[in-house]
Amino acid sequence: MLFHTWSFVTFFVVVYPLYLLLKRTRLRLLWILAVSYFFYACFNPFYPILIFYSTVVDYLTAAKMDVSTRKKAWLALSIVNNLALLGFFKYGVFVTDNINFILSHVGVGYTVAEPGILLPVGLSFYIFQSMGYMIDVYRGRVARESSFVTHAAFVAFFPRLVAGPIERAANMLPQLRAEPVISRQDISDGLSLFVVGLFKKVALADYFALYVDKVYAAPGQFQSPALILAAFLFAWQIYFDFSGYTDMARGIARLMGVRLMLNFNNPYLATGLGEFWSRWHISLSSWFKDYVYIPLGGNRKGTFNTYRNMFLTMVISGLWHGAAWTYVLWGAVHAIGRVLTRELERSSFYRENVPRLLKQILVFVFVGFAWIFFRADSIADAWLIISRIFSSGFANPYCPILALAFVFFAWLYQFAYESRFRGLVELAQVRVGIVGLMVLYLAVFAHPGGQAFIYLQF
Amino acid sequence: MRGRSTGNVISTTNGDAIPFSSNGVRLSIRQWLVVGVTMVALLIFLPRLWPQVEKFEPQADYRVPSDLSDDYWLYERYCKWACSRDKILVIGDSAIRGFYVPAGATLSHYFNELAGGDEFANLAVDGLHPVALFGLLSHYGRDISNKRIILHLNPLWMSSGKFDLQTDKEFQFHHPKLVPQFVPKIACYKESISGRIGTVVERYVDFFSWTSHLQKVYFQSMDLTAWTLEHPYRNPLSAITLEVPTAEHYNPAEHVSWMEKSMTKEDFDWVDLSESFQWRFFRRTVDMLRARGNKVFVLVGPFNEHILTVAGAETYSKMKSQIESWLQQKTVPYYIAPPLPSELYRDASHPLSKGYEMLAGQLFESGVFRTFLGEPATANRFAEDSLSQSR
Repeated sequence: MLFHTWSFVTFFVVVYPLYLLLKRTRLRLLWILAVSYFFYACFNPFYPILIFYSTVVDYLTAAKMDVSTRKKAWLALSIVNNLALLGFFKYGVFVTDNINFILSHVGVGYTVAEPGILLPVGLSFYIFQSMGYMIDVYRGRVARESSFVTHAAFVAFFPRLVAGPIERAANMLPQLRAEPVISRQDISDGLSLFVVGLFKKVALADYFALYVDKVYAAPGQFQSPALILAAFLFAWQIYFDFSGYTDMARGIARLMGVRLMLNFNNPYLATGLGEFWSRWHISLSSWFKDYVYIPLGGNRKGTFNTYRNMFLTMVISGLWHGAAWTYVLWGAVHAIGRVLTRELERSSFYRENVPRLLKQILVFVFVGFAWIFFRADSIADAWLIISRIFSSGFANPYCPILALAFVFFAWLYQFAYESRFRGLVELAQVRVGIVGLMVLYLAVFAHPGGQAFIYLQF
Repeated sequence: MRGRSTGNVISTTNGDAIPFSSNGVRLSIRQWLVVGVTMVALLIFLPRLWPQVEKFEPQADYRVPSDLSDDYWLYERYCKWACSRDKILVIGDSAIRGFYVPAGATLSHYFNELAGGDEFANLAVDGLHPVALFGLLSHYGRDISNKRIILHLNPLWMSSGKFDLQTDKEFQFHHPKLVPQFVPKIACYKESISGRIGTVVERYVDFFSWTSHLQKVYFQSMDLTAWTLEHPYRNPLSAITLEVPTAEHYNPAEHVSWMEKSMTKEDFDWVDLSESFQWRFFRRTVDMLRARGNKVFVLVGPFNEHILTVAGAETYSKMKSQIESWLQQKTVPYYIAPPLPSELYRDASHPLSKGYEMLAGQLFESGVFRTFLGEPATANRFAEDSLSQSR
């Protein structure tokens, strides 16, 4: 059940009034939990079993951790359990494929049977959220949640269940425990976030996908201009797709009186790769920073170790996105970029003399280039695209002008929003006009076909 | 947790600050009300005002173009137009619309010719099986009341479990948006729940069927985005010419008999009428139209009985008797067309031009039909008729 479908509208029309009725009662969290499990079951009736199992194990190990002197052992048990779930469901096929590849290359006539399972939607997101909670409890940063229902609602809260944001217990648990006060501003903010997210997803991301999918399906048939434009549009497609999902999730949560964290902050305005990662998928980037990069030593143990930690974190982040070498390579490309530009970004000459716009363009070009590895069906396809970008001739790309116009205006808006012209785009007339145009466009031209979000596969 | 809005940052009681968003698109409740009221007004008035700017003046022998068969907003508009001129509505599938013949050689054309005026309107739609017929007239033919209707029943829709929509295996049938979306369940219809809800919404919110009309008429049945992929450098607004196409795709090469197309006899797997889904909906359609005060005349066939095997012909004959018995029981005036000469069929159910002309003549000679039309016999060539003749 995706946010931009009639099924979800129907679901929410039933769920929300009852939520408002129950919000002052003890049944509120039970209601959240029930509808969240129902929401998840709509993707596959067996999924709730998995999340329930993960929730129960973490709830019990957290309880044990609270009273035991061997806290580390209980934490390890929880982490091993969570990583085992991820490993089995997400990486099972990837691992067996690679083992079989190696076996066949060394001449062993044996193949390991593939697990034959599908990755449950949202698994990586709620596993990471749950792991973050367990580590925070272990570190004493948050108090263990003693109510199973509250703990389970924290893990399964449906607006963010399948694609984040990967919330922190410190932000979300207090909100779930307290009785929500839903003001008129919450309602209007929720609507604003939802409509912007819906527009990003249905009008922009799904639109760009038409061109991108066409080119990436057969990159060998396209020349340099089409491949460049497909790479350019994919950069925006994935941004609008994922940030659109997050906006809708945050909007729905806001309507329920829950504030989820900001997950995207105009990442293509970043002037450096470090800044890019502080603006892109913020909940995941900060998760990796807090629970991987810093525990590895962060930047505290010399230059070499800093770069090693950066590299490892980025590669693991790539692998988090998907069980394929293309994602690992994508992570590695970012890691190399981050390592190479870190010193450059620290130099005063670069910081002070290179125009901000040029830095933004350079970062966008690099990120857009790296997305080729992310989007390509295989590493061979990625190399084919890159080589054809530089070697093939010119041919009419037949890229819709309207799509490029949308990108232009979105970029222009973001530039204005982060400049001294911010007051202009915040004028009431401009805001109302933009929302009116978005709603009208969605109503007249965009027909939600329920195209899945890219990040659901992760 | 109580939140406090300060600019673009929400403060929470635990001291953390969560930015509202990375853009300034944030409205107050009042501003949302302004947007909401404006949108509702547009939702209501745009489809109603659109006919003022979009030319649609059906000429004699007009029929809904094949390409716009699923433009139900246009169909509704055409219905309104025909009803406002008190036309006799000829409703059915492509066998009545005249799939293989030009607009000037359809059944309704010959009706008009025989009646000496422009009294009959061709409201048939390609692929309109009885289940879809019921949906079309329920939701988009609401203006049809107190009218005279010639309703066609094409037995072909009962010629197999698949045509009767009684197979479990999914297949692409005509007009899925017109069939019941939830109850009764159609096993071969596998649309998602969301798609089904969307279809139901489109039936009741005129605005959405109007936007669908825009797509079908101006964007080659594609949504705007897919259309720009085909026409990357064209201005989409320039495609909205405000003229409903009337172009016909008549192909003279296809105007040949079934024998010339080397079609052979077929052994249809007729469904039992008492269990037929299509027949059930045809009956419901007749009841619904009559409940609206319409006078309904049912035309069964003319089915190409020459294409049937001996066994198939026997089953078909029994089925015709059952149909007739129900029509008699319901006192519905009807005409079960005898088979036309074999060479006047294009396939199992579509007559060629001469076939339509002959059928129109037969009907005008039928007393039941003339009584239905409420007219005296207009020429001597129309002999007195009886129900038995039509059998």
